[in-house]
Amino acid sequence: MTIILPELCSAETIAPLWRDVMTEISRLGKGDEVTLDASGVTRCEGAGDALILELVRRAAGQGFALVFSDERRVIERVLSIFDVASFADDPATVNPKRNTDTRVQVGQAAVRIYEDVCEQLAFLGEICTSAFSLLIRPGRLRLRDTMLHFERAGIDALPIILLIGFLMGLILAFLSAASLRQFGVEVYVADLIAIGLFRELGPLITAIILAGRTGSAFAAELGTMKVNEEIDALTTFGLPPVFFLALPRVISATLVMPILSVFAVLSGLIGGLVVLMGMRIPAVTYWQHVIQSSTLTIILMGLFKAAVFGLLVGLVGCSHGLQTARTADGVGRAATAAVVGSLILITIFDGLFAVLFYLLGM
Amino acid sequence: MPQDTVIEVEHVDAGYPTLRVLEDISFTVQRGEVFVILGGSGCGKSTLLKHMIGLNPPLCGEIRIKGDSMTSGTTEERERAMRHFGVTYQSGALFGSMTLLENVCLPLEVFTDLPLDARNWVAEMKLDLVGLKPFASFFPADISGGMKKRAAIARALALDPEILFLDEPSAGLDPVTSAELDRLILRLRDLQRITFVIVTHELASIFAVADRCIMLDKKTRSILAQGSPAELRDRPPNAAVHAFFNREPLP
Repeated sequence: MTIILPELCSAETIAPLWRDVMTEISRLGKGDEVTLDASGVTRCEGAGDALILELVRRAAGQGFALVFSDERRVIERVLSIFDVASFADDPATVNPKRNTDTRVQVGQAAVRIYEDVCEQLAFLGEICTSAFSLLIRPGRLRLRDTMLHFERAGIDALPIILLIGFLMGLILAFLSAASLRQFGVEVYVADLIAIGLFRELGPLITAIILAGRTGSAFAAELGTMKVNEEIDALTTFGLPPVFFLALPRVISATLVMPILSVFAVLSGLIGGLVVLMGMRIPAVTYWQHVIQSSTLTIILMGLFKAAVFGLLVGLVGCSHGLQTARTADGVGRAATAAVVGSLILITIFDGLFAVLFYLLGM
Repeated sequence: MPQDTVIEVEHVDAGYPTLRVLEDISFTVQRGEVFVILGGSGCGKSTLLKHMIGLNPPLCGEIRIKGDSMTSGTTEERERAMRHFGVTYQSGALFGSMTLLENVCLPLEVFTDLPLDARNWVAEMKLDLVGLKPFASFFPADISGGMKKRAAIARALALDPEILFLDEPSAGLDPVTSAELDRLILRLRDLQRITFVIVTHELASIFAVADRCIMLDKKTRSILAQGSPAELRDRPPNAAVHAFFNREPLP
C-alpha cells in the first residue's frame, strides 16, 4: 500500500485523506508494508505533520512496516521535531469526556449546594460582625457609597417599578372585576387590590425587580473587582471587603426596598383606578374603599416584608459577587447565581411570612 | 534574510476618531523576519497593531497582508488576509472554560474538516512545540503567566499562519521566563519560517529576537528610527533613541 502526500499538506488537503488512510491501515498487521511518499511535498503544515506522526504511531502499534520516500526530507524534519513516543496512545481520548453518571452528578451537585450554603453562612457571619461594629461606631459607614448605591438601586429603578406596578394593578383589577361583576360587587375590587398590593404583590414584585436589576449588578460589580484584584488590594490595605464594599450595598438595598414597594403599590392602585373608572365606579368611592381596607397593620406588614426581601437581595448579590471565580465566565455565573438565589430565598421567606402572619392572626 | 514582503503599511494614520496617535506611518515586513515595533508607553504601538490585525480601522492609509488589503479591500479579501496571521494578546486571552488542548482545537474545529483525532494530534503537536504538552488537560486558571503566553502562541499557531503578531509577549514575565519565550520565538521562526511582528518595549527581548525594528514617538507621532537593534543602540539617530536604548531619562 502506498500513501502519496499532496504537494501542500494543509488541513484542507489532509482532512479527506485522513479518513481514507485510517480506514485502510486499520486492517493492516504484521507482515504488511506501507510506503509513505512525501517526495512531492513542497509545504507541510500541522495537519500533514499529524498524519505522518499518526502513521508512525500506528505502524509501531499494529506491527506493519512503514517505508518512507522522502527525498525532500519532509518526514525526517517532522520526526526530528516531535518525539512520537511521547504522544498519547490515542489522540481521540486526550480530552476525557466529563463524567455523565447520574449518581456522580447528583453527588457533585449535593457537594456544591453544601459548599454554597457554608459560604453563604460564612458571609452572613461576616456581615453581622460588620454591622455590629457599625453599631458601635456608626461614623465608619461609607455614607457616600451607601447613597450612591441607594440612588442606583432606588431612584434609577423607579421608572420600571412604576410601570410594572401600574400594569399589575391594571391586570389584577381586570381579572377580579370580571368575576366580582357577576355578583354586582365590583366595587370591592378596590379592597382586593389594596390588600393584595400592600400586603403581597407590592413587596414581591419589587423584590423580583430588585433581584434582577440590582442583585445581579452587585454580583457583577464585586465579581469584576475580584477578577481585577481590586478586592485583594483592599484586603492588603487592611480594609475588610465585606465592610467596605458589601455593607453599603446591603444597607442601601434594605432601605430602598420599602420605598420602592410603596411606589409600586401606589402606581398599582392607579392602575386599578383606571380599570374601575372604565366600569363607571367613581374615583371617590374607589379611594374610600382603598383607605378603609388599607389598615396600618397591612401596610406595616408589607413594608417589613419589603425590607427583609431587600436585605436578602443585597446579601445574596454581594455574597456571590465576593465569591466569584477568577475566570471570564465567573462574573456571569455569579450574576446568575445572585438572581436565582435571591428569587429562591424571596419565595421561601414569602411563604414563611404567610405562615407567621397567619399564626399571629394578622 | 528572505526578501519577499508579507506586510505593507503605507501612509497610515493611527488612532481613534477623536484622537490621532500616529501620522503617515509606512514600513514593510519581510518574510521570515522578526520585526519589532517599539517605543515608550502611550506612543501608539498597540493601536498600530490593532489596525494591522483588523481590530480597528486606521484613520487613513493602506495595510496589506500578503497582498490582501486589510483596510480598503472587500470582506473576502480581508478574511483571506486574516487567514495568513495569528495573534496573541498581552494577557494570553485564553478561554477560561476550556482546557489548553480545547483552546488550541477550537480554531481547527471551526475552520477545518479534520476529524477529532486529527484535530487532537495537531493541537497536541502545537502544545508540544511550545513545551506545554504535559499540560494539555489543564485549564488556563491553573497555569502560570508565562505558560499562558506560550499556550496563546500554540493557539495562534493552530491554523499554521505565516505571520504571528505578538502584543507585549514579555509583559509581566520574569527574566528567565521571558528569555524562554524569546528562544521559543526564534525556534518557531527557524522551524516553521514564521514571520513575527512583536510589539514590546522590553530591551532584553528586543536584542534577543529582533532582526529589524521601528521606534515610534509620541511627541512627533511618527517613526523616530528604524534598523536593527544593534544599529539603533550603537548609532542612534537622535537623543530620544539613545535614551531609550540606554535606559536613560530624556534630556
